[in-house]
Amino acid sequence: MPEIHVTIDGVPVTVPAGTNVVDAARVAGISIPVFCYHPRMKPVGMCRMCLVAIGTPKVDRATGQVEKDAEGKPIIAMMPKLMTGCTTPVSEGMVVLTTTDEVKFAQRGILEFLLTSHPLDCPVCDKGGECPLQNLTMEWGPGNSRFDYSDKVHFEKPVPLGDLILLDRERCILCGRCVRYQDEIADDPVLGYENRGRNWHIISKSDPPFDSKFSGNTTDICPVGALTTADFRFRARVWELKSVPSICTHCPVGCNIALDMRHDQIKRVMPRENGAVNDIWICDKGRFGQRFVESTERLTTPLIRRNGELVATTWDEALRVVAERFATIQREAGGEALAGLAGPRLSNEDLFAFQRLFREVLHSPHLDHRVGMPGEPHADNLGTELGVGSGTNLMTLGKGTTVLVFGADPEEEAPLYMLRLRGIADRGGELIVVNPRPTKLERSATHRLRYRAGSELQFTRALLSVALAEVDTQQRTPDFPGLDSLRTTLQSIAVDAAAEAAGVTVEALRTVAQRFVQAENGIIMYGADAFAVGPMLTHDLGNLAVLAGKVGRANNGLIALLPGGNARGALDMGVRPDYGPGYTSLSQPGLSAREIWGAATEGRVRGMYVMGIDPANDFPASRGALEALEFLVVQDMFLTATAQVAHVVLPSASFAERDGTYTNAERRVQRARQARPAPGACRADWTIVQGVAQALAGMLVPVAAASQSATEGYWSQDGSEQEGVSRNGQAWNYITVSDVADAIADTVPGYSGITHTSLAQTGKVGTWGRQTNEDYFYDGTNYENTEGVGLQYPAPVEQQRTTFTLETAPIQSAPIDERYPFVLLVQRLLYDADPLLRDSLLVSHVPAPYVAISTNDSRRLGIQAGDRVRVSSSAGGIELPARVVVDLTDGSVLIPAHLSGAPLSMIQTGPRTHVALTKIAQR
Amino acid sequence: MALSEYIVLRDVQIPDIADFDVYLKHGGYEALRQAVKHKTPAEIVTMVRDAGLRGRGGAGFPTGVKWGFLPKGVYPRYLLCNCDESEPGTFNNHQIIDRNPHQLIEGIIISAYAIECHTAYIYTRGEFAAASRTLEHAIAQAYASGFLGKNILGSGYDLDLYVHRGAGAYICGEETALMESLEGKIGQPRLKPPFPAVAGLYGKPTIINNVETLINVPPIVEKGVAWYRSFGTEKSPGTKAFSLCGHVNRPGNYELPFGVPLRELIYSPEYGGGMREDRPVKIVVPGGASAPWLTGDQLDVALDYESLAAAGTMLGSGGVIVLNDTVSAPHVAYKMDEFFKHESCGKCTPCREGTHWLVRVLHRMTEEHHGHADDIPTLHDIYRQMAGNCLCLLGESAVMPIKSALDLFPEEFETLVKVQHAEHRLELTSR
Ligand SMILES: Cc1cc2nc3c(=O)[nH]c(=O)nc-3n(C[C@H](O)[C@H](O)[C@H](O)COP(=O)(O)O)c2cc1C
Ligand code: SF4
Ligand code: SF4
Ligand code: SF4
Ligand code: FES
Repeated sequence: MPEIHVTIDGVPVTVPAGTNVVDAARVAGISIPVFCYHPRMKPVGMCRMCLVAIGTPKVDRATGQVEKDAEGKPIIAMMPKLMTGCTTPVSEGMVVLTTTDEVKFAQRGILEFLLTSHPLDCPVCDKGGECPLQNLTMEWGPGNSRFDYSDKVHFEKPVPLGDLILLDRERCILCGRCVRYQDEIADDPVLGYENRGRNWHIISKSDPPFDSKFSGNTTDICPVGALTTADFRFRARVWELKSVPSICTHCPVGCNIALDMRHDQIKRVMPRENGAVNDIWICDKGRFGQRFVESTERLTTPLIRRNGELVATTWDEALRVVAERFATIQREAGGEALAGLAGPRLSNEDLFAFQRLFREVLHSPHLDHRVGMPGEPHADNLGTELGVGSGTNLMTLGKGTTVLVFGADPEEEAPLYMLRLRGIADRGGELIVVNPRPTKLERSATHRLRYRAGSELQFTRALLSVALAEVDTQQRTPDFPGLDSLRTTLQSIAVDAAAEAAGVTVEALRTVAQRFVQAENGIIMYGADAFAVGPMLTHDLGNLAVLAGKVGRANNGLIALLPGGNARGALDMGVRPDYGPGYTSLSQPGLSAREIWGAATEGRVRGMYVMGIDPANDFPASRGALEALEFLVVQDMFLTATAQVAHVVLPSASFAERDGTYTNAERRVQRARQARPAPGACRADWTIVQGVAQALAGMLVPVAAASQSATEGYWSQDGSEQEGVSRNGQAWNYITVSDVADAIADTVPGYSGITHTSLAQTGKVGTWGRQTNEDYFYDGTNYENTEGVGLQYPAPVEQQRTTFTLETAPIQSAPIDERYPFVLLVQRLLYDADPLLRDSLLVSHVPAPYVAISTNDSRRLGIQAGDRVRVSSSAGGIELPARVVVDLTDGSVLIPAHLSGAPLSMIQTGPRTHVALTKIAQR
Repeated sequence: MALSEYIVLRDVQIPDIADFDVYLKHGGYEALRQAVKHKTPAEIVTMVRDAGLRGRGGAGFPTGVKWGFLPKGVYPRYLLCNCDESEPGTFNNHQIIDRNPHQLIEGIIISAYAIECHTAYIYTRGEFAAASRTLEHAIAQAYASGFLGKNILGSGYDLDLYVHRGAGAYICGEETALMESLEGKIGQPRLKPPFPAVAGLYGKPTIINNVETLINVPPIVEKGVAWYRSFGTEKSPGTKAFSLCGHVNRPGNYELPFGVPLRELIYSPEYGGGMREDRPVKIVVPGGASAPWLTGDQLDVALDYESLAAAGTMLGSGGVIVLNDTVSAPHVAYKMDEFFKHESCGKCTPCREGTHWLVRVLHRMTEEHHGHADDIPTLHDIYRQMAGNCLCLLGESAVMPIKSALDLFPEEFETLVKVQHAEHRLELTSR
């Protein structure tokens, strides 16, 4: 970008071409007041607040030369009218004046105008105290108003735009930010305008109203108190609030949030700016879905089963009983008879301590962070191994970047990614969305392909074949292990046939592969619909990234969308049967959750520790196994279905009640702070795990340490990190959570150097909001990030530490059972029966379960919307009302996962299930 | 002196020229034939530029020059005929459509050919229901005779022409708001630049011209630049269909060569026929409500772009409103600004809030008889806070009535508030 020199109120600054006058002034430390302008959106010049005087060097028409005065200075020709700074791009030699009488008169005039239609009800307005209109009036406005108060126009207020957001028409200054945000950033163009003149106002155009998962952000960018959330409205005055930095653990994006506290209550949840993660946005689940923390249903004391009843007990007794029972089982049957599950939302510290307890203390290898139900994702290593390079910045990528979204629905699985990917497309990047079903992201896609479910592998093989030909032509074929054998296998691929099987055109398929290869930067994102095919598919995506040379550097690589806010952390910490912490291989792998249920039923596993996960609810088939256990301890915030059958229940602190670190889908480790005391006797999970370990001291049969050690792993070549599994015999004497983090940094390969101290040093960041406190520029909502942006550990491929081989296993085409002709697509929803949505406004957004079928299939089977349908597979059947979805591919049916009343696991037979449909009742 | 040869309001001489056959009989569509058969698009652009045709929609911008702004080689392009005619005091477009629709259509086809576009729209104001039907009927006739559609007159040139009726909004006459409306969006102006010629309808290069502008094109093409320039003045060539209304004896549309004195328009028996009851002229608004006012002692100004600009006003849309000494200046300002307030789109602050506030104050003064001395400086400030600061010209236009009234008739405001103040005091004391 060429640099442009401008002078603003006498201050010379140099800014990139294309910068507007308002932003340039900011560089010069000069504030030009704005209302409609927002640095994340295109300027519109509506509010006229940013009027300034602008001049440019006078150019001699004849010579094209700048005219100079006697002193040799360029003569400046001032424009005849004031100009809006937000819409005027800088030009060389431009002179801007922001404090002339004319400018002041105009700016004061605009503020006076705005105030004529403003109700001035600041004392009862939620925005009061962080309101740009208040602040700008103080700085630039008139001291008093000449407007006759009785001339004010009044409107009914507030009117709900949806059930989450309310509009106060009297306060609205019609800056259009909310509408433009929905159009430009969220790509949910559900807001609009109605009427004109003084009656012009904001409306919702969608049914249901304000149908967007990103609606809360409008209340942050609204420069007045016109938009308020039903969640925060009238709950506190903002100056009473203390912002505590935290991390949202609802999904793998790991948005930076602030818990705005009054005393111990979370009054509202706000975004913290982090360009590497969520910019200044969060989704509505992150904003409204944290009310579970203060639920009255929280457990507050340990419980123990006496005479069949769970009754309150003390920590001393609870821990003693847990230790004794585990010790008994270990003494009688060895550590192998114990198994542990820990959920993918817990912090790295909890997960690390948990696996240490199992591997080092109890000597059990049976660990998992999943519940073992048929459709759940395999333990994905590629998202780390070939993960996006360090320094990847989705905020700036655009032209030259191609993002391939394969089998993922970011809006539902990781909402903020939808915004980020959209931004890339907006800035000129290519966004290729390849899915077996419609998703909202398709709307922003530059290329959109729907493949027929079941044909994925043929599809990816064809992509690989085209990609290989393309890199060969360009002479960019990577030197990677397995290339030759891959070349041989791909020779037998008929691209035409594959395209036909997938139901896409050959050209479209070729375009996807070629665009991806040709791009300067390439990212592949995959999610639930890709995991539904299994590891062969994700490996093919890895093959594609490697072949195309899109790994091992910033802005290139894979991003895996896994359920749970810290699934990556769980995989990294080794809460899994197949690898130890840091992907170190184990001499003796353990049982997966799936296998644990079998072992428990057979009595080979006799005791379990279930922490922050609820198998009895998520996978009802596990109940029998759970009930068969000799001893079950459940550690959770709530009395979950699993806890109800436990022998001991240990109450844990929520993420808001303790410090901890979480690792997001891009391997970024971020820290959340304690915002409130834990209720009752609740303790942080890692503390409880340590308590169990300490209580076990001396009770167990010693086991030869050698059986646990393992050294293979991505980072194993590195002498200093030879340790592999954490050191045996390390004392359980963590005093604070940062001690645990230090232990992680010391012993988990890849995490070296990531301590709470180093995380704290990533500094204050921000370009928006009250970052320059005393400055009035864009004042209002505080997005300040005092906690830093987190640290991203390098992907093994960046350090040439990958063990990845280019290979494709032969496609096993299972014989089609004609009794089950439909492919079942399972859609992960953002608003599902997640018990952590409890007490939030989002509960009413959770749909009732249904099965969706295509229009043609509905006609063929005589099934209409609302009819009750039996969906059956070789495993069983469930009954659901039908929905007809126009653009669903024929031959596939879609059922949303995790809705109460639709126990999908009853019919799932594996990653991919085939089903039959029978109509059982007319609507 | 009446024109011997009409260019625009040809129905004056040929009363049934709206009839397709009559139009054909009087040489209709001959200019089109000449154009598509014997002239290149560039030649027509040059002719229109050389003829000095200026836009009749308000700004008077040279039409040929505007056409030349189209970026080279960017297609598709669009031609929009602006028939939103909502400026108070302006009604010549309506007469053209009712009485001479084919000449307009011919003008559109030639202009579209000249700018190399294949889709054109006539955007009519919402209230023009009957006029729109007239146009549609005429367009169907043109299609049937091969003047529109594919391969026009065997020339290989294609054009489709559509009529789009708005929902009744003055702002939709503003070129970018018109395009928004045509695209199915809320009718509000866009930020400029980009200008329509570069990125207009659907982001494509677009030329937008007034009805009266385009109807001038066939005669120019048919009879030539020199003939056209024999009308009017050097800088304002041609004729202008003035809409005359107010306290004159004969309101109506009158086509005059540019440069005729205002007095002649008002007093000539062929045109205005003088003032009703011979009362004196107090205010003349010469170019639609958006134009600054003239007073009774400025009637010698010539009706052309330059002379009116020199007199501190503008020719605008050519809607001449003549008011006699019975009107009160504050009241006229109130009525006119009430119009602008009603039509403000609301997009920008100074226009949305300024017109509202202006009207509130003026209403209090003129209708509620409740003015206050402070109101006068406040009115001055309100229009100053608007002037030059609005997003589009509607807001700027709203300044003109109040500014003119305050500048030209300050004493009327003072009297008003003084009397009202006194009345108010009286009311208080007698209570
Ligand atoms: C508020 C407003 C209303 C306007 N209304 C009209 C109109 O009704 N008809 C018209 O031709 N031009 C109108 N204009 C002018 C158009 O924006 C545009 O300049 C014109 O159509 C260009 O055509 P011309 O070059 O042939 O004059 C209006 C402008 C403004 C600001
Ligand atoms: S509601 Fe807020 S953001 Fe939306 S237009 Fe009104 S003031 Fe602007
Ligand atoms: S996108 Fe994910 S991490 Fe971000 S706020 Fe929403 S649920 Fe939380
Ligand atoms: S000046 Fe008036 S009509 Fe024009 S954009 Fe502003 S509010 Fe709308
Ligand atoms: S016009 Fe520039 S900030 Fe609104």
